[in-house]
Amino acid sequence: MANTKDGAVENARKDLAHRLNIDAGQIKERSVEESDFPDMALGAPEDDEMSGQMITRGWRIQLEAQGKTFEYRADKNQLRAYKFKGKNYRV
Amino acid sequence: MNRNNFFIHVALALVLILVAAFAGQLSKWRKEWKGNVGIMPHAEKKQPATTEEIALTENRNFGRPEVLVKFKSGVSNETIERLTASLHDRVEDRIESAEGLEAIDDLDNADAASIVAEYSKLPEVEYAEPNFEIQLDAAEGPLVPVFPRDPQFEDQWALANSGQKGGKQGADISATLAWAKTTGSDKVVVAVLDTGVDYSHEDLAANMWMRPDNLPPYHDNELGTIDDENGYNAIDGTQDPMDDNGHGTHCAGIIGAEGENDVGIAGVNWKVQIMPLKFMNSSGFGSTKDAIEAINYAIERKKAGVNVRIISASWGSTQKSQALGEVIRKAYENDILFVAAAGNATTNNDRTPHYPSSYDVPNVISVAALDRNDQLASFSNYGPKSVAIGAPGVDILSTWLDNEYEEKSGTSMATPVVAGVAALVVANNPRISVDDLRKRLMDSTDPIVALKGKTVTGGRINAAKALE
Repeated sequence: MANTKDGAVENARKDLAHRLNIDAGQIKERSVEESDFPDMALGAPEDDEMSGQMITRGWRIQLEAQGKTFEYRADKNQLRAYKFKGKNYRV
Repeated sequence: MNRNNFFIHVALALVLILVAAFAGQLSKWRKEWKGNVGIMPHAEKKQPATTEEIALTENRNFGRPEVLVKFKSGVSNETIERLTASLHDRVEDRIESAEGLEAIDDLDNADAASIVAEYSKLPEVEYAEPNFEIQLDAAEGPLVPVFPRDPQFEDQWALANSGQKGGKQGADISATLAWAKTTGSDKVVVAVLDTGVDYSHEDLAANMWMRPDNLPPYHDNELGTIDDENGYNAIDGTQDPMDDNGHGTHCAGIIGAEGENDVGIAGVNWKVQIMPLKFMNSSGFGSTKDAIEAINYAIERKKAGVNVRIISASWGSTQKSQALGEVIRKAYENDILFVAAAGNATTNNDRTPHYPSSYDVPNVISVAALDRNDQLASFSNYGPKSVAIGAPGVDILSTWLDNEYEEKSGTSMATPVVAGVAALVVANNPRISVDDLRKRLMDSTDPIVALKGKTVTGGRINAAKALE
């Protein structure tokens, strides 16, 4: 999967809608900014996951729903939900 | 005296005169040769020395060039010649691998400090420094730094920091001095446990491990027999460790991109054998189980006679796995050093351990990252009790997929620097034990203010010291 910024935001929105069991139209895009993440799991490793310790350029995506802010992290290779209810998920 | 005796005496006298004259000329030649040893031009590649002691003494004008002057980019050779002539000096040698770097001989035999001061004032000059004399023990003569002719070497600040791109001169691992002693050995195998390695890369192919013909293919009870011709892929249990991300190829190049091949960069080792072990996928992450499988492969190959002495591990997480710790201990029992990234979370590993670098196993050496100014990298983890050593890890140029070269940052990049130095030590001392190898690395640092109280050694790895 070769992500683009817009593609990553779209997939993050779909994933959040699924996790919250709401319509994607109820999710607002709060911000999308380029960011350097500390490792190749974008600083959001799942349990039992080892990642390369190289600074990795990607996008920090902030979405808003149900009065809360949810963060996703993406680069050209992957999309991750960051600390969704305390846990990280590869999407 | 009869007529025959007379001619014999005349002939003997002529021979004696000729011998004396030749001996005198030999002595003169020897003196001239000794006096002219200085910076080594690439065409006269010096063989690595083999003696034990390296000592630095300040230049006191031994008839070799007094100073090294780096002219700013864009200053023409004609301008350089004019400037040196105006100071009654001459360009003794032009260092081709570093644009604008000239070895200058002062024809007045002034002391180096005053010549440096003269050149430092010139607007065309980036910096000037004395041409330090580097000596082996008294019996061996001078030891000179060795510069490879790889075209991108001048961008490898970690190996030779001349102050390029705003860096601090000398904030490097003293690779050029180490290379005067050894540039590595193809008898030493370093396992790169990573995303794989692009073993076809133009600057790596010559230094890749390949299973010897007399070594049977790898056999695993669950996976069966695997034709591990180029290494091992633990993700799918196949023989192909080709890199599909780039991270592992980058780390491999730092350890052992081929040196002196007129291509790309030079690794810490110009020659070595890199064994690719793939356990991370195309996105750069992998499972603990696959890491264990790959380490186990390296151990089994060691037992089968492959000289695996070092595993370079530029990865990690805060999750602790007892099984991973145990297999690393098994590597220790098989005399394999395990060099691991301290992590990039800007945290103190004494309080928040990062694995595998935080395992309390005698073969683990944890590496923090430094920038080109000898500062702890803004992202680097540290730990006065748990992080062993610092090494360059910011804007590190190395090999990448598709015969490319890229600059990357991370403790991922600092780790193979230390693994590479470890390989040089083994090349120089093949019988060194893993305990002594680790101690040698720990004892071979330059103290760095930014690392004081941040790592066990408080220093940056120094390859030349490691080979003393």
